[in-house]
Amino acid sequence: MGASSGARTMNAPAEGFKARAHDKLNDAKVQRAMRNFNLAGARARGIADLDNFEDIRTAAAAIRDRSLASLDLWLARFEQEATRRGTKVHWAETHADINRIVIEIARQTGVKKIIKSKSMVSEESHLNDALEAEGFKVVETDLGEYIVQLAGEKPSHIIAPAIHKTRDDVADLFAEHHKTPRKSDIGELTMEARKFLREHFLSGEMGISGGNFIIAETGSLLLVTNEGNGRMTTTLPRVHVAITGIEKVLPTLEDASCILRLLTRSATGQSISNYVTVNTGPKQPGDLDGPEEMHVIIVDAGRTKLLGTDMQEALRCIRCGACMNHCPVYQNIGGHAYGWVYPGPIGSVLTPNYIGIENAVDLPNAATLCNQCGVVCPVKIPLPDLMRKLREKQVDRGLRPWQERLGLKLWAWTAQRPGIYAFATKLAARLGRSIGGADRTIHRLPGNGWTEGRDMPAPKGKTFRELYAERKRS
Amino acid sequence: MSDQKLRVGLFVTCLVDLMRPSIGFSALKLLESAGCDVTVPTSQTCCGQPAYNSGDRAAAQSLARKVVAEFRDCEYVVVPSGSCSGMIRAHYAELLAEFPADRPEVERLSARTYELTDFLVNVAKLDRVPGRFAGNCTYHDSCSGLREMGVKKQPRALLGQVPGLTLNEMATPEYCCGFGGTFAVKYGEISARIADRKCEDIASTGADAVVLGDLGCMLNIEGRLKRRGDRTKVYHVAEVLAGMTDE
Amino acid sequence: MSARDNIFARIRAARAAAPNVDDAERAVIEGRIALHAVGTRPSMEWALVPRFREQCVRMSSTVDDVGSMADVPRAIARFLTGMNLPMRAVAWPEIARLDWNGTGVVVEGRAARGDDLVGITGVHLAVAETGTLMLLSGPATPAATSLLPETHIAVVPQGRIVKAMEEAWAQTRQERSELPRAVNFVSGPSRTADIEGQLQLGAHGPYRVHVVVVAE
Repeated sequence: MGASSGARTMNAPAEGFKARAHDKLNDAKVQRAMRNFNLAGARARGIADLDNFEDIRTAAAAIRDRSLASLDLWLARFEQEATRRGTKVHWAETHADINRIVIEIARQTGVKKIIKSKSMVSEESHLNDALEAEGFKVVETDLGEYIVQLAGEKPSHIIAPAIHKTRDDVADLFAEHHKTPRKSDIGELTMEARKFLREHFLSGEMGISGGNFIIAETGSLLLVTNEGNGRMTTTLPRVHVAITGIEKVLPTLEDASCILRLLTRSATGQSISNYVTVNTGPKQPGDLDGPEEMHVIIVDAGRTKLLGTDMQEALRCIRCGACMNHCPVYQNIGGHAYGWVYPGPIGSVLTPNYIGIENAVDLPNAATLCNQCGVVCPVKIPLPDLMRKLREKQVDRGLRPWQERLGLKLWAWTAQRPGIYAFATKLAARLGRSIGGADRTIHRLPGNGWTEGRDMPAPKGKTFRELYAERKRS
Repeated sequence: MSDQKLRVGLFVTCLVDLMRPSIGFSALKLLESAGCDVTVPTSQTCCGQPAYNSGDRAAAQSLARKVVAEFRDCEYVVVPSGSCSGMIRAHYAELLAEFPADRPEVERLSARTYELTDFLVNVAKLDRVPGRFAGNCTYHDSCSGLREMGVKKQPRALLGQVPGLTLNEMATPEYCCGFGGTFAVKYGEISARIADRKCEDIASTGADAVVLGDLGCMLNIEGRLKRRGDRTKVYHVAEVLAGMTDE
Repeated sequence: MSARDNIFARIRAARAAAPNVDDAERAVIEGRIALHAVGTRPSMEWALVPRFREQCVRMSSTVDDVGSMADVPRAIARFLTGMNLPMRAVAWPEIARLDWNGTGVVVEGRAARGDDLVGITGVHLAVAETGTLMLLSGPATPAATSLLPETHIAVVPQGRIVKAMEEAWAQTRQERSELPRAVNFVSGPSRTADIEGQLQLGAHGPYRVHVVVVAE
């Protein structure tokens, strides 16, 4: 788990943002791949069939707030019901705890081969690496996750993990790893993945899943998938381990039903995902299928740090991905530039909170605050406001470069003093015009990121203040 | 409308003051055409947004309190910018929460602060604009104006009154241009790339000019268009409505 | 202190609540659960059965209508023949017990295997709002039958179609003391768009879902 004691971690994962963004902006393949997806368009069509989308959004935010307001009570209620139904509930304070608990379960049950359906929390803890280091075979089964695993990479989007890959990339990976003739048709590639993964589903001994929600009322785990790998993972292997954050608890099945209307529409535009699975405990007497053991690992790993603070609203997140799908920055640089598990606006809020704001200084700043994310968020997380608050925390903790701090102070000092301000801007207007020259355009300002990609229209030589005073006099 | 003139305080904004005074004079002309009695407080400088968005809360607070005091006596405050008017209306209450004694004044200011086109359409009910324009325009919705001030139909309604002007909508007028205040300087490469999408969208309309309501977006889009060698003109909506596109 | 205790202590502290939970707090959340309050929903002013059919099609299922359960075997035989699919299926026992004589379809009432090509199930309920089948796992209703085969055929008695998911939960509570191991809501064939955003049907689960609506 990332330390947040104040010490800046060298080589922290979310540092180096600018360099990674630069690489991605200049990677033609990634740029091409990112433009293949239009999840924003899909969402727009998806919400159009709700005649009161904004009212449902308000209700969904209230449901999430109700969960967070009494979080311990709902979690205790979940634990009580889940335990009664035969689920073993585990608690992980740190990322290391998650990996330790999974490894213990795997050893105790004597499994060798593990199949996984998507779990972003397991990405936080690098669970696959930990399991492989202990000699377990781990296969990701979500098609996007599988592609990313074959490539030895991390997901670049929370619901479309391989959004940065083209079909040619996938064709190369499959030919190399499956040792089959190279195919380039997307349908054929999907079929080939189905064939190879089917073998894994049937031979997997442990299934690891995430959890979209856990339900306090019934002690159930709720999973939303389209491919069916979530169902396979929770039905076929003899042990099922689900990993989810403490914030994912919902009071009732009705609450889940309300939120599902927004989750799938916000994510992919679908009115519902193909599979919504509610698992409550292991195989029951007489059942012909289902796991013999069901475990749920409930994870803190930084989440309680947000509770009761001005960051709590971020814990409402239901992981639909709409904020990144609508983010002009994400759309251009992709998920890997963000450096940690959650990219886009929600990542720019969660990452500094989870791994320490000193370890992700760029993230809350690398946003235009256009609020497209806040407007589409199905649970009304005020993402730009939270990023702005993180910027304030950076200033309070002296994490901004001194030039920037000094510049702001000087400017604010001047702007407080209209006489001096008027004089300074008068000079700046004249200087700007003379730099602008005949075409009234500044082409280069040393040390200023603006002119790296843009010209700067030059000031006209006199300020409004001067011209207005002249006009009044005349 | 009664004989009583609307008493308007014009908040010119620091960017207009320094970079493009013609926008301020256009706003003045439009407000006067709408029969308003306009004052321009001379001590005004900046709304504090750059400091607010950079996390320097103390600096932002001192400037915000200055604005609150400067416009205390104006019946309305009108701003030729969605982002500066949005700063006042949508953020001052939160920014000045530590000053509970200021609260009534802050709320009074927020309630009577308007973005220019919103004010012209919904308060002053301007029904004949002075400008004329020969050509095709496309309109970019600046983020703050759109999402904080609800500015969408107002500029289009006014542009619709301009003789000779045809409006060709771009595919995604609500998509951010990539400006984002200091973002454009700190993350110039990303910002320019976002601006590219806007430039492509503008080009695909074949418009002679792109019109918008915020000088920040304007500098960004104009700067990127120029760098790309694209000669499409960029105007503030006030310049077009006032017929002051040559100044 | 255990990890559990530490986490709960941190949550209580963040909420500025006393370290120990009292009965009054528990009573509040139990009361909240007992309400089973239905949240804000879109207006749903449509007739159940037509809506269900229309939404099934929207989710890429195909729909057939028959008059009674006795008509189901022939309707399924017709579908399999028409689609050029194997005339052999694995099914829930209640379906296998129908009279398949003379239809040409060999139906086995057993657990599904990885190589079964056609699976036939009933449903617990069906949801009109989204064209969704609701299946409960159990000794006579194994979950894999609707998952492993390439084709899933579901027999849906019209009277089991309810308005929305909330009604499905309410009715399930009335009919059963508690949830089974797995409740599966199925809405059309398995799909993925993970390669270049292009939709492909039949990712890991069925390629096709065929719904037979039974009038009585």
